[in-house]
Amino acid sequence: MKGAMIRVEGLTRRFGDAVAVDAIGFEVARGEVLALVGTSGCGKSTTLRMINRLIEPDKGRVEIAGRDAREMAPDALRRGIGYVIQGVGLFPHWTVARNISTVPRLLGWDRSRIAARVDELLELFGFDPAEAGPKYPAALSGGQQQRIGVARAMAAEPEILLMDEPFGALDPVTRARLQDEFTAIRRRSGLTAIIVTHDMDEAFRLADRIAVMDAGRILQIDTPERLLRGPREGFVRQFVGLDDRALRILSLHRVRELARPAPDAPAPAQWVAPEDTLREAASRLIWEGGEALAVVEADRITGEIRAEDIWRVGTRGAA
Amino acid sequence: MKRYFLAPLVLAALLVLLLLRPELMTPLLRLLAEPGQDLIYDRKPLMTLALWHLALVGAAGLVATATGLALGILVTRPGGAEFMTLARMASNLGQTFPPIAVLAVAVPLLGFGFEPTFLALCVYGLLPVFETTVAGLRGVSAPVREAARGMGLSGVQRLWRVELPLAMPVILTGIRLSTVINIGTATIGSTVGAVGLGEVIVAGLQSGNTAFVAQGAALVALMAICAETALRGLGRLADSGALTRA
Repeated sequence: MKGAMIRVEGLTRRFGDAVAVDAIGFEVARGEVLALVGTSGCGKSTTLRMINRLIEPDKGRVEIAGRDAREMAPDALRRGIGYVIQGVGLFPHWTVARNISTVPRLLGWDRSRIAARVDELLELFGFDPAEAGPKYPAALSGGQQQRIGVARAMAAEPEILLMDEPFGALDPVTRARLQDEFTAIRRRSGLTAIIVTHDMDEAFRLADRIAVMDAGRILQIDTPERLLRGPREGFVRQFVGLDDRALRILSLHRVRELARPAPDAPAPAQWVAPEDTLREAASRLIWEGGEALAVVEADRITGEIRAEDIWRVGTRGAA
Repeated sequence: MKRYFLAPLVLAALLVLLLLRPELMTPLLRLLAEPGQDLIYDRKPLMTLALWHLALVGAAGLVATATGLALGILVTRPGGAEFMTLARMASNLGQTFPPIAVLAVAVPLLGFGFEPTFLALCVYGLLPVFETTVAGLRGVSAPVREAARGMGLSGVQRLWRVELPLAMPVILTGIRLSTVINIGTATIGSTVGAVGLGEVIVAGLQSGNTAFVAQGAALVALMAICAETALRGLGRLADSGALTRA
């Protein structure tokens, strides 16, 4: 792959006698989101931390935008890469605004540029800058802190974001909302990201490709759909979970992909939006017991989606 | 600000008043003294003794604080962990070794007066500052430290901007303990000729004058309480973040 943003080759790290990461290699294209998934202790966090040199590899190399990471000073390298950690780690003695401005300050941005960037990010993550900026982290809820953690990582406009369980320890509703927010933001900003998670659903929601890790090795690295349709024998199969794979495949597709034309009319009582997933459409069809659903945008019917089309997507062999 | 420092200000005013007008204590001291004994120590002005006392404790406190802080920072750095046992042993020894014994050893080397007492107080005040510095710096949460590193703060920046400010309330507790202990301990310096409020107590003990002992002890106690409340106020101020928030 030419022009890979992150390129990892033969990366190995031992802790004492235990091999945490065993000769791992992968590439992440510019603008791509890769998820590293696996059980605790599979080496996914260690892999992530070797990319910004929080842990030095024993062997192998990391290339960032074509440059060997070892040639860069660790602090400078880290200032250029956004990093979101599991425990959020906001600085409790600094205001929200000061927290977000950490890296821009280190980089010596001038005051007005920092202030503008902080306001911009607060708005992007759904805060009122005048109200949230002067607050201290302790005054925020868990979900709000997590958002500020991501905003802080993005403050200096890094091209790369490394995220270690970024939305862990949140209730499912907040979690899903943050995941959607993140997807929207990264589409707009063209960020390249690596996300470490043990939650397969999160990987499916956020990532373009997923690397399943076990015992320090990558067992399979593929798009979510290919991973669901053709998981390797053994750990991958077990970890990906095949019981509801048809439904999971449906959740990777949008209604607009299958919508057929339909005469314009006011919205009926039951309908789906073009950006809803096929899984949502399927659920509604099962509940309503019909054969087709209207696709509605701005209160007018713009098309229809049929049950048979949806089922076909979720069938073995389709793709 | 005012609510943190009201008590120490009132106490300090009372202390100054008693030092300048010790005769205000006579009604109480009369109950303790034998008939015909002097009630108020008058060989030197009490104010002079108090100022020397304070200077001694202050100077030793500065040295103990600087040393304790430096040692505490050193042993919590990645390369300094191996000094931990040594530093802890040294500061523990300083606390275990009775100050009076330090005086006995120091007098032949440094002579009588200020110097040996100063040394004894430096050694004695070290442990609380050292231990609380270590505890404070270690108490900075792992995610906060990890975030600081991951964000690209250098080692010095992490220490000054993140770790020390967050450890400050704990460290101030150590400085407070150290200072209060030393205000009391400094009285023994008078046995080797250091000028201080201990002189009043020693004179009282030598001449069997309970009034002297009581007024010396009372003034030292008042000074200690005064320092305690002042430093506690400072600690609360740090807790509220006013000192460390940029």
